[in-house]
Amino acid sequence: MPYFRERFGNPSSLHGEGDEATEILEECRKTIAGFIDAEPEEIIFTSGATEANNLALIGYVTRNRDKGDHIIISEVEHISIHNIAKYLEKNGFKVAKVPVDQYGKINMQKLASRITPQTILISIGYASNEIGTIQPIAEVGALAREKGIAFHSDAVAAEGLVPLDVKRDRIDLLTLSSNDIYGPQGLGILYARKGMKLNPLIIGGGQERGLRSGTENIAGIVGMSKAVEIMRQEMTEEIKRLVSYRDKLIKNILARIPKSHLNGHPADRLANNAHIRFEAIEGESLILALRDEGVSAATGSACSSKTLEPSHTLISTGLLHEEAHGSLEFTFGRFNTEADVDRVIEVLPPIVERLRKLSPLYKAEEMAT
Amino acid sequence: MKSTQYSEKVLDHFRNPRNVGTLEGENVAWGEVGNPVCGDLMKMYIKVADDKIADIKFQTFGCGSAIATSSMITEMVKGKTLDEALKVNRQDVADALEGLPPIKMHCSNLAADALHEAIKNYRGQKKGKVPLPVVRATKGPAKEIVGEKKFLKGVYYTVDDLSLFKDKRVMVLDRGNKSLETALELTKHTGRVIMLTPAKVISSTDTGLAKAIKQSDIKIIYESEPLEIRGSEEVEKILVHDLNEDEEYELFVDAIIILK
Repeated sequence: MPYFRERFGNPSSLHGEGDEATEILEECRKTIAGFIDAEPEEIIFTSGATEANNLALIGYVTRNRDKGDHIIISEVEHISIHNIAKYLEKNGFKVAKVPVDQYGKINMQKLASRITPQTILISIGYASNEIGTIQPIAEVGALAREKGIAFHSDAVAAEGLVPLDVKRDRIDLLTLSSNDIYGPQGLGILYARKGMKLNPLIIGGGQERGLRSGTENIAGIVGMSKAVEIMRQEMTEEIKRLVSYRDKLIKNILARIPKSHLNGHPADRLANNAHIRFEAIEGESLILALRDEGVSAATGSACSSKTLEPSHTLISTGLLHEEAHGSLEFTFGRFNTEADVDRVIEVLPPIVERLRKLSPLYKAEEMAT
Repeated sequence: MKSTQYSEKVLDHFRNPRNVGTLEGENVAWGEVGNPVCGDLMKMYIKVADDKIADIKFQTFGCGSAIATSSMITEMVKGKTLDEALKVNRQDVADALEGLPPIKMHCSNLAADALHEAIKNYRGQKKGKVPLPVVRATKGPAKEIVGEKKFLKGVYYTVDDLSLFKDKRVMVLDRGNKSLETALELTKHTGRVIMLTPAKVISSTDTGLAKAIKQSDIKIIYESEPLEIRGSEEVEKILVHDLNEDEEYELFVDAIIILK
């Protein structure tokens, strides 16, 4: 709060308040760098993860176009990466997408087979924000480094749930957001390894080493830095707690509800993610019914999306549209308790049963069993 | 548009849907619209007496508004003459529900269409024209699938060692008993076996086999045929043609088995 009221100096100014702001800014940069084993000067503050993804992809490929015009992403990237890739395609770049297996994991062989002499950037999300599958990031990093290709990873879904280490995983560019680790909204960072050459997307007074002009959002940066400190202290224990909730929920739902299946990887999945599909029912109606019981969940169903398209991630794992429609995503966080998990286990089976009774698809399946 | 923007009336019909179920017997007809591919499937059953809708039931797979519009229309037309019922359109249903989110007007407001189908089918029966299902399954030598020859890995014409398919997503084309047996055997090696058939039902000279297929975890895609095999070096996806809806979509798989 003091950063809104008394301490609102502009770090670029030469007066005392400005010096203090610079000091705070650099202190926060150091804290956040430590969270991912980076150096402070490798951290670029942005307005959020979306801007960081834009800076990573557009900034890198436009600066390095003389080296090639080919980019590789995966089929299960966050929508922002897909849309940036589409934009780059319109602007003359070529984009290849690596398919995933039935658990949502990329196949390293298929990634390698897509590399061409023109490939300059590989962007693979650390983990799926939808189905929770964690990608073999260290393997991708090793391959990219060996081939001399820059490697970007959007780690927003994984931050706080997986210990991140850009050196260990040989990551060149990494995106983080503040609000996904309980920091304030409107802030993110791009880590850019020393030596990575990028074009800025926002040009102005030359803040953030010229890569992101505009007066820094000091209040947001302090908030993110504090969120990182708390996360570092609590992460190990927190992951254990979330894993126990996740596993309890998955086990009970699959056991109690017939014709339900786990989406995503059985082992390599985020601690906070349980993603389940129910045959013959539609996700939005499940969400509506759960909301009446005070439970919030998300769905891969088209019916609850703005575009009315089913989740591209679920389709990429080989599901039919109707199966993607019947999928439900539960995520847990800092403020959930085991009682919340028990509540879901209690209310979900009768809801599924009720909706299946309405469904013309279920009857056929019932008769079959 | 968020689902939170449903009216109270929509939520009421979603929570307590009226007239759920099916009808059988004399003077009963049903209409079906939608398709799981687009998200919704509605079946509307009517029982007609004295040219009026004496009873009406529905089953719906779909979102909250799909269920609510189905329920709503059953209340609106019960007791009406068939001609009156035919005049009830999508907008009437939406109005009766105190409005629908704009994005839902088309995709999930299909209840009127399903009802009109049911009435048409009823009148068709009356004239002695029982609508026969169109059989599009073609017998004889299967034509080559686009891209079939391009792939060294992932297209199988014979299968000896099923353990090759461990944890893979395998599509098996319905080519008679041998393919059914293979699909069934595959379920021991992988959780994802998809059977693609141009027919409306899986039929076999071996009734036990057909039943076992239906009871298994095999995902059966009816009334569909493969159009093209796509991928980089290996099979990655199949372009599927839904014959019933005349739609095409891609399905991600690791292998396709085409027994000759």
